[in-house]
Parts: sequence; structure tokens; C-alpha cells
Amino acid sequence: MPSVAIVDDEEGIRKALSRLLRASGLDAESYANGQEFLDAAAAHRPDCVVLDLHMPGMSGLQVLRKLKAAGQRLSIVVITAHDEPETRERCIDAGACAYLRKPLEDRLLLNAISAAMRSHTAAIRR
Amino acid sequence: MRGVEPGVLWSALAVALGYYLAARLGFAFTLQPHPISTLWPPNALLMAALLLAPSRRWWVLLAAALPAHLMAELQSGVPLAMVLGWFASNCSEALLGAALVRAFVPGALRFDSLRSAGVFLLFGAFVAPLASSFLDAALVKLIGFGEGEYWTLVHMRFSSNVLAELTIVPLIVAWATWRPRDLRDVPPKCLLEIAAVFTGLVAASLIAFDLPVIDANTAPALFYAPLPFLLWAAVRLGVRGTATGLAVMVMMTIWGAVHEMGPFAGGAPQDTARDMQVFLIAVSVPLLLLAVSLEERSKAELDAQEQRLQLTHLSRVAMLGELSGGIAHELNQPLTAILSNAQAAQHFLAGKDLDREELGEILKDIIAADQRAGEVIHRLRALFKKGETHLQPLDANELVREVLTIAHGDLITRAVEAMPDLAAQLPLIEGDRVQLEQVMLNLVMNACDAMSAGGADARRLSIRTRATDSSVQISFADLGPGFRPADYDKLFQPFYTTKPQGLGLGLSISRSIVTAHGGRLWGASSPGRGATFHITLPILDLGPITARPLT
Repeated sequence: MPSVAIVDDEEGIRKALSRLLRASGLDAESYANGQEFLDAAAAHRPDCVVLDLHMPGMSGLQVLRKLKAAGQRLSIVVITAHDEPETRERCIDAGACAYLRKPLEDRLLLNAISAAMRSHTAAIRR
Repeated sequence: MRGVEPGVLWSALAVALGYYLAARLGFAFTLQPHPISTLWPPNALLMAALLLAPSRRWWVLLAAALPAHLMAELQSGVPLAMVLGWFASNCSEALLGAALVRAFVPGALRFDSLRSAGVFLLFGAFVAPLASSFLDAALVKLIGFGEGEYWTLVHMRFSSNVLAELTIVPLIVAWATWRPRDLRDVPPKCLLEIAAVFTGLVAASLIAFDLPVIDANTAPALFYAPLPFLLWAAVRLGVRGTATGLAVMVMMTIWGAVHEMGPFAGGAPQDTARDMQVFLIAVSVPLLLLAVSLEERSKAELDAQEQRLQLTHLSRVAMLGELSGGIAHELNQPLTAILSNAQAAQHFLAGKDLDREELGEILKDIIAADQRAGEVIHRLRALFKKGETHLQPLDANELVREVLTIAHGDLITRAVEAMPDLAAQLPLIEGDRVQLEQVMLNLVMNACDAMSAGGADARRLSIRTRATDSSVQISFADLGPGFRPADYDKLFQPFYTTKPQGLGLGLSISRSIVTAHGGRLWGASSPGRGATFHITLPILDLGPITARPLT
């Protein structure tokens, strides 16, 4: 079963997303902030990450940049409740596979997750 | 010519009826065999009607007065030529007065400023009666009705008309804007006060002017018995109350003399009329001016207060506009939880093994998220609302927490870390919750703006609450670039702003809000090392003796 990490500072959203992913046959692991996730990801890399952009402390963008700096390539779907004009580009530049606005349609999210995992696998095969 | 609308017909009818009754009253106020009424109200009534109407309708009102005039005058056996002559002089007085007043006070006359009252006194109550008195006396001499010297006639007409203008015009103009539903807005205390003033006034006037026990030789000081009540009316009841009080006293004074009672009775009719007129004019003018000037001042105060409230609301709404990104974030979060939970439930329901317990949990979370979204909207509505200032006991810590909740979305999306350092326990302060939250929210937003250019680790906002002996202090410290001492005073000036989309009202209005709460708002900064803004608000004194009413 593919594993997906959920990184979001809001417990209600972590719970709702893990339920949704589990109901769709994915294994969900959730983290309340960027640092917690980075620590865990160093030991066990998930197949995909659903990463919230605006979090207190370390933001989603900072997480992306840290991963990039560390040379860690992960399939990451960025989600945000506050969409600003240049944020999408910044996230894609920093290595995100997809950028979705909250609230999240289940099909869009699941498609983005599977597309992210596929493209990542394709990138590894190449 | 355009058709005459029903409103004009009604006012024409009212003028005709009023004119007729006023003429009857004028006759009743005539000291026989003295030929001229002590107070001749029809001219004044006509002038008041003209002053309230647009000038293009004046001819209708004057025409409406003619049948009333004929009916009243012909009954008393005056020759037709004299009756028509008097109509001409009455109309000329009303027209001249109304036209001159309108020339200097455009629109319907309101006794709402010393200027408008002064213009009325000069043109309506002096120039117009003077001019028409010459005309009137000339017509009397020309037609040969009645006897008396020309100048005596002028003099008698003049004082009668002046007194009438002074008594009738303010009365009608002040009551013209009154509607029966206004009565509902009058607090019972005020009604009681009005009743007290008028009971006192009527009683004093009765004793002074309308009882047979008093005669001219006994108590001239009694003239002044109604004065305290009239002063009371002028100070507390405005122009409407004063004009009514003056009319009551004028009527009662003349009524007494006509019935040979009171201190004015007893002499020759001509002297009695003149004495009363001089006395009543001398009382009316200063009281009317006093009432107008007090009303003007309190209206100016109310206007300023209303303007302040409007400006406060305007700047609050502008600030909420700046917050909108953060608010969208705050609403999207619970909406996300709701949608994803609901869609998860759909997936569970489509699957084979249905976990009822899990479904129950999902529903519980959906309800909680929905309530959270509702709270966001509830808080916003309170801030958007435009209301009167409402003072209540408040806990500054709670205000800070509330403000941080409102600003939560903005703090998160702008990556500002709020570090509240709240005193364990604070004495209560007294204030308007929405306005004080507005001040704090403004300081939080300013701090966020000041730090937006800084790095991620330089975006910390410390908020500290402390109690001193007599006040509570709330401080907001940012890590932005701060401000130069030379710019400090400018910060609090209206329309000074360093933000591209700012109105520049935030700090100036914040300071006026805090000052109105009896507190202080000030800032301190060392350039390059952030700025701190402090609010102090006096502690609410809950002592049993010194407790103040909260309204």
C-alpha cells in the first residue's frame, strides 16, 4: 500500500485527509509541522507528501527548499488555504509536483497524488 | 403650468384654516376700545407658512389666505376697501420677511443656528413688520377708517406685528418638523421633565397674569415669575420647547389683560398693550437666542461625535479589507475539514465494511469545523457592524486573545509568529469591545506590515499585558525597521501612511479611540531594532461608592 505523509498544522485537516486517503486505499501518516516531518522523512521516505503551505514556524515552502537543499527528491502535493499570485510558481520551482487550493475536491487530490507518484517513479526510471 | 399636487392643496387648506383662527385669536386679543390687537397672529402665520414652503408655491398659500381673511374681517363690520387694504399689508409683511430670510438662509428656515435665528429676528421680526406698518397706517389714513395719528398707528401696528412674528413663527417652524412618531423616542424621564416645565410655567403665568388678586400696584416683580420655567425650557427643551413656552406665556399674559386681570390691567388700553408688548418682546428675544445657541452647540457636539463614529467605522472596515486574505484562510480551513471528512464518509459508505463508530467521529468533526467557520463569521460581523459606543467591563487579556484569533489567518499566511506574554490576572477595564479590538488589530497589522520585508526569523510579534496601580498596559513589539524619532509625530497624523494601499487613518483613529477611553497610546523605537506601541487604559473602579454608570 503506497504511503502518503500529511503535513498540516491543523489537526482537523490532518484527521479529515488521513480518513480520505485511507478510504481510498492509501496509507496515511500525519505530521503537525515541517520539522517533525523532515525528521521522520529522513528515516522513512513516504511515496508522496501532502504539504500545507502556511504553517507556523517552518512554512511549506521552507520544507520544500530544505528537501531540495538536502538533495531529497520526494513527490510533493502542496495544498493551501491562502492562494497568492506567485506562490504556485515558487512551489513548483522548489520541487513541488502539484499545487492545490483548499478546500480539496477528493478526485483532484487523489489524481494529483497518483500523478505525483507516477511522475516520480518515471523520473527515477529515467 | 404643472398641476398642483395634493400636498400643496393640504398646506393651502391648513393656511386658510390657520389664518382664519389666527384672525379670530387676534380679535380676542384686542383691548376694547383700542383698535389694534396686542398680538396680530395672521401675518406671522402666513410668514411661517411661506418660510416652510418652496418659493414657487408662495402664491398658492397667499391666495388661500384671502378667503379666510375676508371671512374673518367682514364679520367684524370693516369696510371692504379696508379689508382688502389690510390683506395687502398683511401679505406684504409675510412676503417681504420670508423673501429676505430666504435670501440669507436658503431652504426651509430652521432655528438651528444663531445665524439663522439672527436673520429671522432682523428681517422677519423687525424689517418686515416695520415696512408693513408704514403701509398699513397709510392705508388706514387713505381709506379713512378709524382715527388716530399716522405715527401712532405705525407704532401700534409695528409692536403688535413684531410680537406676533416673535411668538408665532418660531412656534410653527419648530413644530413643522415634528412627527407623532417622534414621541416614541422620547425617554419617560424627558416627558416628565417637559410636564414639570409646562406645569410650572402655566401655574406661574396664572398667578402672575391671570388672577384677579393681582393689580398693577401690588407686585411688578411677579412679571418675572414665569421666567425660571422659560429659562429651564431654553436650557433643556431646545427651540421647540422654548417657542412653545413663550407662546404659552404670551397668550396667558394678554388673555389676563384683556379680561382685566394681572399687573398690566387697569390702565388705558393703549398703554396696557404697549407695556405688555415691550415686556413680552424683551423676554422673547434673549430666551429664543439662548435656546438656539444651546441647541446649535449640542448639535455641533453630536455631529462631531457622529463623524468620529463614522470615521472609526470606516477605518475599521478598511482594515478588515486588508485582513481579507487571512479571513479567507480562516474560512477555508474548516471548509476543507468539512469537505474532506464528508468525502471520506462517502468513500467509507461505498466500501463494504462500514465502521459506524468512524462515521460518528466524522460527523462530530464536521460539526466542530462548521461551528468554527460560524465563529469566524460571527467575529467578523461584530467588527463590520456600525454601532453606537457601548461601554462594558472588559478583560484586556481576553481582548488580546480574541484579536489574535481574528488575526490568526494573517499571522499564519504572513509567517508572523505571535508571542503573547499575558499577565496571569488583570483588573478589569471599561470600554467598547469592538473599538478596543480595532485598536489592537490595527497595531497587530501594522507590526505585520513592518516585518514583511524581514527574514523568516525576524517576524516575531510580542504582545505583553501588565497591570500598574491605576491602569492596564498592553504592548505590541515588532522586529521591523522601527521609525525615526523625527517621524514619530507624523505616525499619529491622519492620512500619513507608509503603506501603498493604506488609508493612513489607523494610528490616528486608534489614538482617538484610546483617548476617548481615558487612556493613552504611544510608541517607542530604536531604528533598526523594531517598534513597540503601548496602550494604557484606566482600571475600572468597581467600588460601591464610586461606581460609575456604564452608559
